[in-house]
Amino acid sequence: MTDKTYKLEVARRPWYEWLAWIAWAFAVVFTLQNAMASSVELEPRVASILWVVGIILLLGGAIVYFVRRRILSA
Amino acid sequence: MSETETRVSRRDFLRLAGLGAGAGLAAPKLAGTGKKTAYGAKKFTDPAGRPQRAWWVKTVDEPTTEVDWSKVERYNERTGTVRGPGFASYVGEDRAEALGLVQRELTSERIRNNVPGYTLKDYALDAGQDQRLGMSFMGPQETDTPEDRGVPKWTGSPEDASRIIRAAMRHYGAARVAFLELDDNTRKLIYSHDPDGKELIFTDEQVASETEEARYIPNKCKYVILYLVQMSEETLKRAPTMLASQTTGLTYLRGRQIQNSTQEFLRGLGYQALGESSTNALAISPALGIMAGLGELSRFNRLISPEFGPMVRVFKMLTDLPVATDKPINAGILEFCKHCKKCAEACPSGALSFETEPTWDIVGGFNNPGHKAWFDDAVKCMTYWREGAATNCGICFAVCPFAKKDQAWVHSWVKAGIATVPAMDGFFRSMDDAFGYGAQKDNEEWWYLDLPELGVDSTRPVSEA
Repeated sequence: MTDKTYKLEVARRPWYEWLAWIAWAFAVVFTLQNAMASSVELEPRVASILWVVGIILLLGGAIVYFVRRRILSA
Repeated sequence: MSETETRVSRRDFLRLAGLGAGAGLAAPKLAGTGKKTAYGAKKFTDPAGRPQRAWWVKTVDEPTTEVDWSKVERYNERTGTVRGPGFASYVGEDRAEALGLVQRELTSERIRNNVPGYTLKDYALDAGQDQRLGMSFMGPQETDTPEDRGVPKWTGSPEDASRIIRAAMRHYGAARVAFLELDDNTRKLIYSHDPDGKELIFTDEQVASETEEARYIPNKCKYVILYLVQMSEETLKRAPTMLASQTTGLTYLRGRQIQNSTQEFLRGLGYQALGESSTNALAISPALGIMAGLGELSRFNRLISPEFGPMVRVFKMLTDLPVATDKPINAGILEFCKHCKKCAEACPSGALSFETEPTWDIVGGFNNPGHKAWFDDAVKCMTYWREGAATNCGICFAVCPFAKKDQAWVHSWVKAGIATVPAMDGFFRSMDDAFGYGAQKDNEEWWYLDLPELGVDSTRPVSEA
C-alpha cells in the first residue's frame, strides 16, 4: 500500500443548468417527433424544416455539453 | 345501473375469463371500465356512448355562433340555393348557360392537354364514385320490422339508444355521431322545401309519408341524428382539380350508404328514420351539427370539427326513437377564424368575407338570415366553379389551418392553445404559413401514394380521445 494521496474535485453543475438540459432534451424530442410525424403526414416542407431544426438543436446541445465539460474540468 | 346489469352470471364470468366462446358478448359488463381494445379503442365510458374529447373542447349551452331565432325562417332549398338549377335564378338563364359552356370547354381542353388533376384518369376516378346509389326520405324499407318478426320493438333508455346508434353508425362508417332534439327554434333548421320542390310538412300523423307534392314528418320524429363522414385530405389538398373535387362526391356517396344502413337499422328496431331524399336535402346540416356539438361555424360557413377540422361532411336524419342529446361546443374555432382569414385570402373568387367580426347582414337571398356569420357570396363561388375550376373547388377546406392529420404533437398543442389563449391566434396563423401548410399538393404525385382505405384514418376518433 502506498501513502500516495489523491485529491478529487467534483464540479457541481448549478440547478439552472440542469433545467436548461431538461428543456433542451424536451425541445429535441418534440422537434424530432414533429419532423417524423410530418413525414408521415406527407408534409415534406414542414418535415424538412423540422429535421434541420432538430439536428441543429441536437448538435448544438452536444457541442455545448463538451465545451461545458471542458470548462468544468479545467 | 340496475342490479341485473351489474351482476355477472356464471356464463358471462366464463366468457370474461376467456373460457367461453364469444367473449365479446360480455362487452356490456365491461362498459365503463375504459379497458383498451384493438386499434387503441376503449369501451364506451359514457352511458350514451359519447366519445371522450380533448380537455380543451368545452361543452356550452349556446353555440359560439350567435343566433336570433326570431329572424330564422325555414329555408326553401328549392328556390334559395345556388346549387344546381337554382344558379340560373341568380345570374339569369343566358349567363348560366354560357358559364356551363365555358365549363365544358375547359374540361375538354384540360383533358386533352393532360393538365395534372384534370387528366382522363382523374375524371374516370370521379366517374367511379358518382352518386348513383339511391337514397330516400323514408329509406329502403326492405328489412323486417319487429312486427314482421312477431316480436316487440326494441326498448331502452335514451342513453342506451344513443349508444347503440353510435356503435352501429361507426360500424357503417360515420366518423362521429351526435344527437339533437328539435324544439320550436331548431325546427326552423328543417327546410320548408326539399331541393326537388316537395314541401316538408310537420304533422300529427304517427307515420311519415310522401306524396307528389310533399313529405310529411311526424311531430314525434323530433330527434335528429347528426353524423360526420371524413374526407380524404390527400385528395382535397390538391384543390381545385377534378382529383380534389371527387373527394366531395365520394364522401356524399358514403354518407348515403350510412343513411340507408341506419334507416334499415332503426326500422329493424321498430322505429322510423327519415333521411335526405337527395344530396343536401331535409335540413341545414352544418347548423344542426353545430347545435349538436359536432363543431363550430367557420369563416367559410362550413362546420369545423375539433377532431377533423373541416375535412368532414355533415349529414342528418330524423327519428322517433328517443335519444340522449348533445350540446354545442366551444373549442375557440370561431374566435380563431376572426383572426386567420386564410380561406378568404386563398379564395380565387373573392366569395369569402375579410371582415374580422361576423355580421347579421346577409349577402344575398341564398344566405339564411338570423345568425351572425361571415356570409359568403355563393354566386361568386359557383361562378368560379364553372369558369375557373371547371369542377367543385374546395380551396377553403384545403388551406384551413385546422386541416391537419394530427400525427405531429404540435397540432394538438396548437389546437389547445387556440382554445385557451386566443391572443396567440395570429401567431399560430403566421406559423401555419411559415411551415408551408395549405399549399396545393402535386396532383400527379397522388397516383403514386399508398394510402389507407378511402384515404382516411378511421382510427382517428378513438385513438385521439
